[in-house]
Amino acid sequence: MIRVMVVDDHPMWREGVARDLTEAGYDVVATTGEGRQAVRIAAAARPDVVVLDLQLPDVSGVEVIRGLAASLPRVRVLMLSASGEQQDVLDAMKAGATGYLLKSAGSREFLDAVRRAAEGQAVFTPGLAGLVLGEYRRLAASPPPAGAAPRLTERETEVLRLVAKGLSYKQIAGRLGVSHRTVQNHVQNTLGKLQLHNRVELTRYAIEHGLED
Amino acid sequence: MTIQAPGGLQGPLWRAIAVFRFASLAFVLILAAGNLRAYDRPYAMIPVVVVLVGWTVAATYLYARPRLRRWPLLTADLLITMSVVLSASWVVGAGPLSRGTPSLAIAWQAAPVLAWAVAGGRRRGVIAALLVGLADLSVRPVLNQASLTGTVLLLLAAVGVGHVARLSAIAEERLQRAVRMEAATRERERLARDIHDSVLQVLALVRRRGADLDGEAGELARLAGEQEAALRALVGASPAVDGDDTAETDVRALLRPYASGCVTVAAPATPVRLPGPAARAVAAAVAAALDNVARHAGAGAQAWVLVEDEGDAVVVSVRDDGPGIPAGRLAEARREGRLGVAQAIRGRIADLGGTVSIHSGPRDGTEVELRVPKVGW
Repeated sequence: MIRVMVVDDHPMWREGVARDLTEAGYDVVATTGEGRQAVRIAAAARPDVVVLDLQLPDVSGVEVIRGLAASLPRVRVLMLSASGEQQDVLDAMKAGATGYLLKSAGSREFLDAVRRAAEGQAVFTPGLAGLVLGEYRRLAASPPPAGAAPRLTERETEVLRLVAKGLSYKQIAGRLGVSHRTVQNHVQNTLGKLQLHNRVELTRYAIEHGLED
Repeated sequence: MTIQAPGGLQGPLWRAIAVFRFASLAFVLILAAGNLRAYDRPYAMIPVVVVLVGWTVAATYLYARPRLRRWPLLTADLLITMSVVLSASWVVGAGPLSRGTPSLAIAWQAAPVLAWAVAGGRRRGVIAALLVGLADLSVRPVLNQASLTGTVLLLLAAVGVGHVARLSAIAEERLQRAVRMEAATRERERLARDIHDSVLQVLALVRRRGADLDGEAGELARLAGEQEAALRALVGASPAVDGDDTAETDVRALLRPYASGCVTVAAPATPVRLPGPAARAVAAAVAAALDNVARHAGAGAQAWVLVEDEGDAVVVSVRDDGPGIPAGRLAEARREGRLGVAQAIRGRIADLGGTVSIHSGPRDGTEVELRVPKVGW
């Protein structure tokens, strides 16, 4: 049984999500409304997937994701937010989140996203694809530091643009004449390269400033 | 009446006048003590000194109260000063004055002129300067450059101080407006947070619980979702700042408001800038395309707007999942003279040196892509 933890500061929402997950056969191991508490509880509850509201009252989504990853390296984080795709969503994805979903998504879409996140698949919204595309362009345009900026292959760019335009993986596979699995891999790679680049940058920063663990 | 509101930035000006009164009083008393023997009627100097000292203290006390800085006090100040000036012809006498003995009030007579300039601005300051100056000239038996200098200096001081007083009044008004705006912005942010924490969450929950239901419940969920998107756009919008029309504008900010339950807007996390007119033309073209989706792609059709910054150009695409435009339909419309939306969009974007491409397939819906160059503006 897949173990899920729900982190959201709105009790009504938290209960609703937990009920849906339980009905769908997931094991909801913990629920909380605070980020720091979530990090503490997760170490003991050992969830496979954390459903995380990006706007928590105490700490940022990025901090929660870092804290979770420190104690549970294999945890998958599915982020939810009510307020659309902005910089904080991108930052959280770069910090290691597996996927992102708008709170206005329907129950079926939500459960599907949890299932895919549990399998380790990247869960993208069109808005997130737009952010990731923009981030690659920003990295390519900004003066390169010592390491080369990550780049998308032509095919990856094509796939991301189609995701951003609202096409399903199935539609994209049909249009490009490739398999569903290939589309999925391309999307996964775009995120993986970004997260890797982020980790390298953080390490470089730590070494330069003598903060290495 | 242009008497300024009390307090604020004018306070220091009034304090400066008070300091000036005492400093000039000391100067007048020292000169009078030195010249007393030359005066025609030295004993008449006693009441004059009483008035000088008494009025300096009284005026300082009275002007320190913002309520009293009005025309009765200003007029009394001017009249008392003028009477001291005029008394010189009797106390000092015409003979000593014509031999170069200084008159009585000298620098002290500038105080009411400064007070008038601060309270009433340049024009009233000049009026006070002319009145005091005329009184000063009338006691002098000969008119020469030296006797005119005092009056000219009074006039210049009145104009200068009046100008500074006006500037401080304007600055104060702007400051108050800025403070009010900041308070309004804070209140708005507080409301936005509250709405975000409560109403938006409930609406999203309703939308989520009912999204998969049919009939009335599903309709309610859809309406809740629409209201959630509209409210979110409303509380998320930054307050309008009046600026230059041609200033660079973030295209994302203009397109975000179109996001709703059936329209998704995808964009980079960083601003995508175009010159103001170009950005607005792009937004208008997107609005036309979305309007077209709503009319032709059928109820429940979804649309996606993607904003991309390619460095030298901005690319905006609008895609819908409707039935698409049947092959030949565009050509047919053109033949019939119904050029419609596509043509309107093409026209707008061509004016910016950009291009429009339209793809449509029976299963893929319709996609309109606008490409606007950043250069050439």
